[in-house]
Amino acid sequence: MAEISLTVNGERTAAQVDPRTLLSDFLRDGLNLTGTHVGCEHGYCGACTVLVDGASARSCLMLAIQADARSVETVESLSVNGAGLHPIQQAFKDCHGLQCGFCTPGLLMSVVELAATNPDCGRDEIREHLSGNVCRCTGYHHIVDAVERALNGVPGRADDS
Amino acid sequence: MTADQAPRYFGARVSRRQDDRLLRGAGRYVADINPAGVLAAKFVRSHQAHASVTSIDIDAAGASEGVRTVFVGGDFADHEIRCVSSYAAFQESAQPILAVDRVRHVGEALAMVVAEDEYLAEDASELVVADLEPLPAAVDIDAALDVGCAPLHPGWRHNAFVRRQVKTYGFDDASSSAPHRVSIELHNGRHSGIPMENRACVAEHDPGTGQFRLHTTTQIPHLVRAGLSWALGVPESLIQVIAPDVGGGFGVKAQLYREEVACCLAARQLGRPVKWVEDRREHFVAAHHSREHRHKVTGYFDDEGTILALEADIAVDMGAYSVFPWTATMDGGMAMGILPGPYRIREYSVASTSVCTNKTPYGAYRGVARPAACFSIERLMDQIARHLGVDRVEIRNRNLLTGGDYPWRSPSGLVYDSGSLIESLEAVVDLADLEGLLKCQADARAAGRLVGVGLAVFTEQTAHTTQEFKQRGVPIVFGYETAKVRLDASGTAVVSASIHDHGQGLETTLAQIAADRLGLALEQVRVTYGDTEQVAYGAGTFASRSAVLAGGAVTKAADAVADTLREVAAHILEAAPEDMVVESGRVSVAGSPSRFIETSELCRLIYQRPERLPEGVEPHLEASRTYDAHPGTGAYTNAAHLASVEIDPLTGKTRVLSYAVVEDCGPMINPTIVEGQIFGGVAQGIGTALFEEFLYDEAGQPLSTTFADYLVPVMSDIPDFRVAHLQTPSPHTIGGLKGMGEGGAIAPGAVIASAVEDALSHLGAVIVDRLPLTPERVLGYIDAANSSGASA
Amino acid sequence: MKPPRFAYHAPRTLPELLETFNETADEAVVLAGGQSLLPMLNLRLAAPSHVIDLGRVPGLDSIASTNGSVEVGAMVTHYRMETDAVVAASVPLARRAAGYVGYRAIRNRGTVGGSVAHADPAAEWPIVLLALDGEVGLASVRGWRSIAAEDFFESVYTTAKRPDEIVTSLRLSTRCAHRWGFSEFQRRTGDFATVAVAVACAVEAGEICEARVAIAGVADRPMRCREAEAVLVGGSATAAADAAEAASDSVDPISDIHGSSAFRKRLVHAETLRAVRQAFSANEAGARDG
Ligand SMILES: Cc1cc2nc3c(=O)[nH]c(=O)nc-3n(C[C@H](O)[C@H](O)[C@H](O)COP(=O)(O)OP(=O)(O)OC[C@H]3O[C@@H](n4cnc5c(N)ncnc54)[C@H](O)[C@@H]3O)c2cc1C
Ligand code: FES
Ligand code: FES
Repeated sequence: MAEISLTVNGERTAAQVDPRTLLSDFLRDGLNLTGTHVGCEHGYCGACTVLVDGASARSCLMLAIQADARSVETVESLSVNGAGLHPIQQAFKDCHGLQCGFCTPGLLMSVVELAATNPDCGRDEIREHLSGNVCRCTGYHHIVDAVERALNGVPGRADDS
Repeated sequence: MTADQAPRYFGARVSRRQDDRLLRGAGRYVADINPAGVLAAKFVRSHQAHASVTSIDIDAAGASEGVRTVFVGGDFADHEIRCVSSYAAFQESAQPILAVDRVRHVGEALAMVVAEDEYLAEDASELVVADLEPLPAAVDIDAALDVGCAPLHPGWRHNAFVRRQVKTYGFDDASSSAPHRVSIELHNGRHSGIPMENRACVAEHDPGTGQFRLHTTTQIPHLVRAGLSWALGVPESLIQVIAPDVGGGFGVKAQLYREEVACCLAARQLGRPVKWVEDRREHFVAAHHSREHRHKVTGYFDDEGTILALEADIAVDMGAYSVFPWTATMDGGMAMGILPGPYRIREYSVASTSVCTNKTPYGAYRGVARPAACFSIERLMDQIARHLGVDRVEIRNRNLLTGGDYPWRSPSGLVYDSGSLIESLEAVVDLADLEGLLKCQADARAAGRLVGVGLAVFTEQTAHTTQEFKQRGVPIVFGYETAKVRLDASGTAVVSASIHDHGQGLETTLAQIAADRLGLALEQVRVTYGDTEQVAYGAGTFASRSAVLAGGAVTKAADAVADTLREVAAHILEAAPEDMVVESGRVSVAGSPSRFIETSELCRLIYQRPERLPEGVEPHLEASRTYDAHPGTGAYTNAAHLASVEIDPLTGKTRVLSYAVVEDCGPMINPTIVEGQIFGGVAQGIGTALFEEFLYDEAGQPLSTTFADYLVPVMSDIPDFRVAHLQTPSPHTIGGLKGMGEGGAIAPGAVIASAVEDALSHLGAVIVDRLPLTPERVLGYIDAANSSGASA
Repeated sequence: MKPPRFAYHAPRTLPELLETFNETADEAVVLAGGQSLLPMLNLRLAAPSHVIDLGRVPGLDSIASTNGSVEVGAMVTHYRMETDAVVAASVPLARRAAGYVGYRAIRNRGTVGGSVAHADPAAEWPIVLLALDGEVGLASVRGWRSIAAEDFFESVYTTAKRPDEIVTSLRLSTRCAHRWGFSEFQRRTGDFATVAVAVACAVEAGEICEARVAIAGVADRPMRCREAEAVLVGGSATAAADAAEAASDSVDPISDIHGSSAFRKRLVHAETLRAVRQAFSANEAGARDG
């Protein structure tokens, strides 16, 4: 076992971990942050995507111990129960950008990074950039609507009545 | 609400009730559930496709750190999953919970390690040594049916679970006198739904009460309970099955699996909860596969292209075992039934063989057999059009059913209730701007590019119940669904239903229905599902049934509760119950809106002031109802799809440029949700058409066991969609609703094959007859077109 | 799919790293970005007793332009290669290739050193290295050495690197960096290449005086294609087609589920054609996307 101390969603956290513990398992089982989902454990599906020092990373392809002294953000950092949704979350809700919700947390974290580094994307570029987050439910169209809306405030599609 | 009041939520694009929790990462999926003392299970799986199990050495594994116990086949030998069809001559197979003396596919479980955590369980699983004596593996339809191939199950005569044949009386005459015929053979790749959440379950057993509680990733909690009851030999009253948030199903999670039985048995034996979370590599070899059909079809037609008769020989590679609750006949049977599709075909001869092979068992996947059936009939229509030199839209118009044909009894005995086939085809031609696409195609060709347009039209049998499933020979006839509606003392409602929502938005659409019927705001209605303790019985969510059947049950139950409201309000307001209007949070007297009582106040009175109730009325605002859409033959949704593709002439890589859908699923409860279902289905269909395939080598080794080898479409593979709706109500269902969950996935294979063939049509004649259209296959078609063009 | 148990080391200096690696010898692997190693651990295709993390060792992540070459530290990530100004200016081929590696989250962590050490025959960096006449810098307790890219890649996941050596840097020559092309056949965005082709040419007095063509996905290691290179030197107007023909004729590709040998030959033709066309459509400042 080894001692690690890191910042998770803005809070300093210290823990004992077996070095082989995956960051995804540490977040889910160690910190009870079950919003980070695990869909493949070999880097392809993107469900486990979190931000490490602000950059997206597959938490299934990182050891928890590698996150020692780093800052990790998960979907739980975006908004808290009771308060309003983060604008990206709100755009997903408005545009029906999720169905079963399993891919959603990882996707949201990728969009947070996209918004920070490539905010001027069109629909095709959004599709290119987010191709590492697989969604099996939505067929992506509504996700692209949501991301477009989140990136530039242009109404992707929100005909809620 | 009474009939003359406009619905408030029905038809509205309200946003979904579950979204906030899912967006915040606060959903609760099975893998998130950790009861105190929970142990982790890991299955040791066969690496051989077919072998005798000589011995399994578990000593080292049992001694490994943190291991509680290691189970092998003999430990669970009194249990099995058996699903027997009532079809004559059906050959039975039994799935052992853990293999006993034989393994019949790679991925079949040989042992189960239970340890303190997943890491330790996996460590120990590597120490289990299974001695397997290889046997010849039957890895495809022809090899398995070969007379030289030994039967895969004891007591079998050959490797068909069942063979069936149906012929209309007039078929022989119609086919022999037809002036033209076209025959094609079509192949569909083996693939499956691949939900993003793998399977998982947590089993608990209470030794005091003898009760089992199983949290599991299922679409069909009540059917899992029924199957467990049989497999465990325990009455249903002692089994609670809970499906919490489920990360996609698509049919893969609509079976009882051996791992669920194993975890229950282990939990009982060990006295601690046992949890299993499938990993993705296991999912590819142990979660049920689907789609692998081979169809030989012949169309007989006259000079105008009117089809006079249809002949089909269907074979489906069902893998190693018959699965619960579908049996091993579902795909073959469904394909037989639906193959004539939306056309006015009267004479039909069809044979269907469900073949047993050494592959992962075969279960449901969105659309069940209909994608293959649509592929066959639509490919055939395209060939007939080409044979006669008739346009593809025109040939369809000549054969499609029209309004006057309904109700239509198909030559396979299905009863189509209603539809708008020609209208949807016409509408999609406009929506997609076919004319514009053809102009682009001409320009592209002039520039040496390969661009094609494809289309398909189909009917989707939905919400079929008792009548249909009785004929399918399944051991449990999936008829009705159940809903329970309760108003509480604060005037808010809880709706519980036997269906499950794993993305379809039923948590919202059922609330829309209930809110309208009870005159409440949407926020005042909570919908729960996925717990066998909440409602008595039901089948669950599959086969495009839930909105229709659960929607109907909710309507009936809510109306029953509203009747009590009316009765009590009438008593209090001194008016007649039939004059009561339940609306906008109050119950008022029709025509004098000032005479009302708030619904919340009324609810409080009913529960807390029983002395004010009229004689004979119980202080009870709860009703449970079932709904079976009589006559149970199904409500027929229809749709037309039209897409354009571009092929890279050097590599064969095919891109979908545009995709348009016109769908008629009757009145829509929530059009946004309907559109989401369509888009999701089409994207999966594009996976069918271009990407997905479980490949095997000659020894039965699966070659697609990671996401690097099994390709699901990613965001850049899918175009923007255009969608429009028609709304022809079903005469059979409450509200005229029709189901639509599967439709999107049915046509894309046919549409894209049609488009690829069209893109090559100026080079020469080829028949695109195999899915998925991998770049290498498409290059093969390009070569074939070029050489046929050169020799022509 | 959980990693097997191992001892973890996070040395803070290069000497400490080399010492640790030397001591644990055959039973250790180094961990760079982990984007190949972690999948292998999760799938239990690797079971090292020791994992030595390069992540805390300073000095392995610089990018420096020197006379005639660019020196890239082993721990530089794919994403940095995609966005770094020196790379874009000096070796634009490398910038272009970086964008083909996996997805953003993979590129954020995966490293160039890890990629060449891993030596996947379908990877981008090895052919970039071959095309840009690169060298691989290696260090061990015994000292430092450098191997030409051509001698480095030996077979699938196998290189001339000795077991106790780590890759410290890559050196990319700018001699051929000014006319270049890169074309790749991917089934989907982010997938490993089925076939990828990198082309780099040196130009003197408006004439191509040296051409380097490197191909991934056809053999057990990245290949240079001298037949195609010969066609390009002094190249005529039909050079692209001729080079593609020559490249396709010269390879005898492997077959796997992503494509038969015959299909890969066609891909070599297609991607060579495209890469060469890009290189030829370039102005003096280097080719842009083709
Ligand atoms: C989903 C996915 C998609 C991908 N797509 C692509 C792609 O399209 N193209 C592509 O090229 N790659 C792809 N990769 C792999 C990725 O590029 C890896 O980053 C790269 O192959 C390895 O780099 P790494 O830093 O992650 O190395 P690690 O995973 O840390 O290590 C890989 C191996 O190299 C050894 N090693 C690492 N660094 C050194 C060093 N400095 N000295 C000595 N040995 C070392 C390790 O011991 C290990 O054996 C993909 C990976 C994933 C998960
Ligand atoms: S779980 Fe990490 S990428 Fe799939
Ligand atoms: S919403 Fe289900 S996987 Fe994306």
